Amino acid sequence: MMGKFSIFDQIKKEGRSILTEFESKKLLKQVGIPVVQTRLARTKKEAVLQSQRIGFPVVLKIVSPDVIHKSDSGGVKLDLNNVTEVKTAYSEMIKTISQQYPDATLHGVSVQKMARPGTEVIVGTSKDPQFGPVIMFGLGGIFVEVLKDVSFRIVPVSQRDAQEMIKEIKGYPLLQGVRGKESSDIPALVEMILKISNLVEEYPQIKELELNPIFAYRDGALAVDARIILE
Amino acid sequence: MESKVSEADFSLKKSDLSFFFEPQSVAVIGSLREGYFGGYVVVKTLLNAGFTGKIYPVNPSYQEVLGLKVYPSIKEIPEKIDLALIMINRRSVPNVMRECATKGIKAVIVVADGFAERDEEGAKLQNEIVKIAREARIRIIGPNTAGIVNSANGLMPDPYEPGYEKVKPGTVAICAQTGMINPQAFPYADLHYGVSKICDYGNKCDIDECDMLEYLESDPATKVITMYLESVRDGRRFLEISRRVTAKKPVLILKSGRTKEGAKVSASHTGALAVDDQIFSAACKQAGVIRLEKFREFFELPKIFSLQPLPKGNRLGIVTFTGGVGVLAIDEAAKYGLSVARLSPKIAKKLNAIFPGLGKTVVDIGPPMAVNNYMTIYSDILKTVLEDDHMDCLFNVIWTSPFKEFVEEYLKFYGEMQGNYQKTIATWIYGPSIPLVNELSSGLEDLGFPVFSDLEMAIKALGIAYQYSDRKKGEA
Repeated sequence: MMGKFSIFDQIKKEGRSILTEFESKKLLKQVGIPVVQTRLARTKKEAVLQSQRIGFPVVLKIVSPDVIHKSDSGGVKLDLNNVTEVKTAYSEMIKTISQQYPDATLHGVSVQKMARPGTEVIVGTSKDPQFGPVIMFGLGGIFVEVLKDVSFRIVPVSQRDAQEMIKEIKGYPLLQGVRGKESSDIPALVEMILKISNLVEEYPQIKELELNPIFAYRDGALAVDARIILE
Repeated sequence: MESKVSEADFSLKKSDLSFFFEPQSVAVIGSLREGYFGGYVVVKTLLNAGFTGKIYPVNPSYQEVLGLKVYPSIKEIPEKIDLALIMINRRSVPNVMRECATKGIKAVIVVADGFAERDEEGAKLQNEIVKIAREARIRIIGPNTAGIVNSANGLMPDPYEPGYEKVKPGTVAICAQTGMINPQAFPYADLHYGVSKICDYGNKCDIDECDMLEYLESDPATKVITMYLESVRDGRRFLEISRRVTAKKPVLILKSGRTKEGAKVSASHTGALAVDDQIFSAACKQAGVIRLEKFREFFELPKIFSLQPLPKGNRLGIVTFTGGVGVLAIDEAAKYGLSVARLSPKIAKKLNAIFPGLGKTVVDIGPPMAVNNYMTIYSDILKTVLEDDHMDCLFNVIWTSPFKEFVEEYLKFYGEMQGNYQKTIATWIYGPSIPLVNELSSGLEDLGFPVFSDLEMAIKALGIAYQYSDRKKGEA
C-alpha cells in the first residue's frame, strides 16, 4: 500500500502528472499485473549489468518524464543480443535523446526482457464526464488504431463484464486461435481487466492508464508497455 | 435543532413522485382561451379523462371555464394543492414558482418552454426556478414538457388537444425527453395494449430519467418501462438505479445522439450534455437495459413484456404459411441468441399424423391448409405445437385470407387459447386486405397476443424477452 502511495506523492511533488514507463510498470506489478521484467540503469555499466542479469535478448528504453513518444525519438532499442549491442544502443540512445530533448530530465534507461511475441491486446482506462472511470479492451496494433475494434465498460467491472467485453470485439476469433496461431489465455486477460478496474476504482487520481501492448499467450499474458497519467 | 434543508434530506424523498401522479388537486396556471393549446385544453383533457381529483384553473381574466371556478392567483385557492401546471411566458415563471412555494405546493410541472434549450436568458431563468424550488422543497418536471399521464386516475393534463378522452390503462410506462409520447402525439385510445404512466421530463432541470426509473420501480401498475433519452444527467446514478430496476422489470431505452451530428442537435433541443454513445451502450449492457434502435420499437417491443410470459429458454418454434418466412425468421433469430427448436419426437409424430411431413423444424401450415378444412386443421396444428416442451417461444405467422369468416374463426380460436399456454408468442399477420389484417391484429391484441408490424420486429421481441429472462436467471 505504502509503495503505491509514495509513487503518487513523489510524482505530485515533482509537479508531474505523467508516470514514466518504469514507474507505471512498478505500480502495476505491485497490484499483481504481470509486466515484462524491467530494471532501471543509470549508466552504461549498469545497463550492461542489468541485461546480463535479465538475460539476452533485451530491450533498452529511455526513462524520462519529458519524452512521451519514445520510439519515434530513438528512445527504444529492440532485440539486443549481447553486451556490445547493449553498449552501442545505450550510447546512441543517450546521444539522440539529448539532441532532441536538450532540457529533458533523464532518469536513465530501462532494461527489459525482450518478450516472446504473443497476440497483442490493449487495456486502457479513461474518465467519462458522466460515467466516471471507464475501461477499454481491444486487440492491439491496427485493430485498435484503424478499425477501432474495442469494447468499453464502466468501472468497476464484474467478472462477467470482463468476459463479455473480450468476447464482444470483432477480432475475438483471433484470441481463440485461428490458422495455426495459438489461442490466448482468456482467463488471464479477464484477470488483468479486473485488476485494472480495481486499481482505477481505488485510486481516483488516475486519469488515464494504458497497457499497450499486452502480449497474450496460450498460458498467461504479459504487459509489455504501460502508461499512467494522473489528474 | 437545525431546521435548514440539507441536500441529503432532500434526496431521501427523491423517488417519491406521488404528488405528480396521484394528486388530489391540480392547479392549472395558464391561458384559458378556448383553442388547441394551453390551460383551457389541460382543463378540458382532465375533465374528459375523468380525473378523480379537484381542478383549480388560475387566471386573473376569467371567472369560469368549462363549468369550473377560476381563481385569479394561486394564493386565492382556498384548498391545499398537490400539483401545479405552469404554462405561461417564461419570464413570469419564477414569480409563479414563488407563489407555489408560498402555497406549499410540492410538485410543479413547468410546461412553458424557452429555458436552457433556447438561450442564455432561458438558462438563467431555469437556474432561478430550480433555486426557488430547492429552497421550498418543490420537485419540478420540465421545463419544456408536454407533461405526464396516469391512466389509473384520469390524470391526463395534456396542453395539446389529443382528440380522444382516455389513455387505455395497462402496464407499460413510457418516458421521454420529448412530447412525442404524450397523448396528442400517439393514439393511446386505439392501442391494444395499455399504458400505466407517461412522462415527458423535458429539460430535466430537476426530475430526470433516474427519478422516473426509481418511481416506476415500485409502481405496482407498471410492468415494463420504455424510455427515450437524449442525455443522461448523472451516469453513475443511472447505472446504479437501472441495474436495480432491471432486476425487477424490463427497461427498454431508445437513445438518440448516436452520431456526432445527432448529439449536437440534441444539446440544443434540451440543453443537455451529450453522452458518448459507446460508453452509454456499455452502461446499458452492465445494467441489463435493453437498448432499442428504432422509434417504432419504442412503442412495439414493450408489448411482449406487457402481454406475454417470459420465455424459459432460447428454443424458438416457428409456425408459418410459407417456407420463405421461416428461413428469414431463422436468420433473424440468430442475432439474439435464439436457436430453432427441434420438435420433440412425440409432437413431430402427432403433426405428421395431422398432415404428412408437417412435423419439421419450421411448421409450414401452407400445404395442409390448401387441401383440408382450414380452421379445424389450423387449430389442431397450433395446439399441438404449443404442447411441445422442447420449445420456449413461438414465432406465429398468420395469413388472414381474403375472407372475413376466417378472421372471425381465428379470433374464436385464439379466444379459447387465451391463458392456456406457457410459451411466449409473438405474432405477425399478413394478407391481401389491410382492413382484415388490422381487424385480426387488434382482435388478437385485445386477447393478449401481441402482433408486430413485421417479422423482424416479432423476432426481436422474442429475442429481447429471452435475453432479459436469461440475464434475470443468471442473477437469481
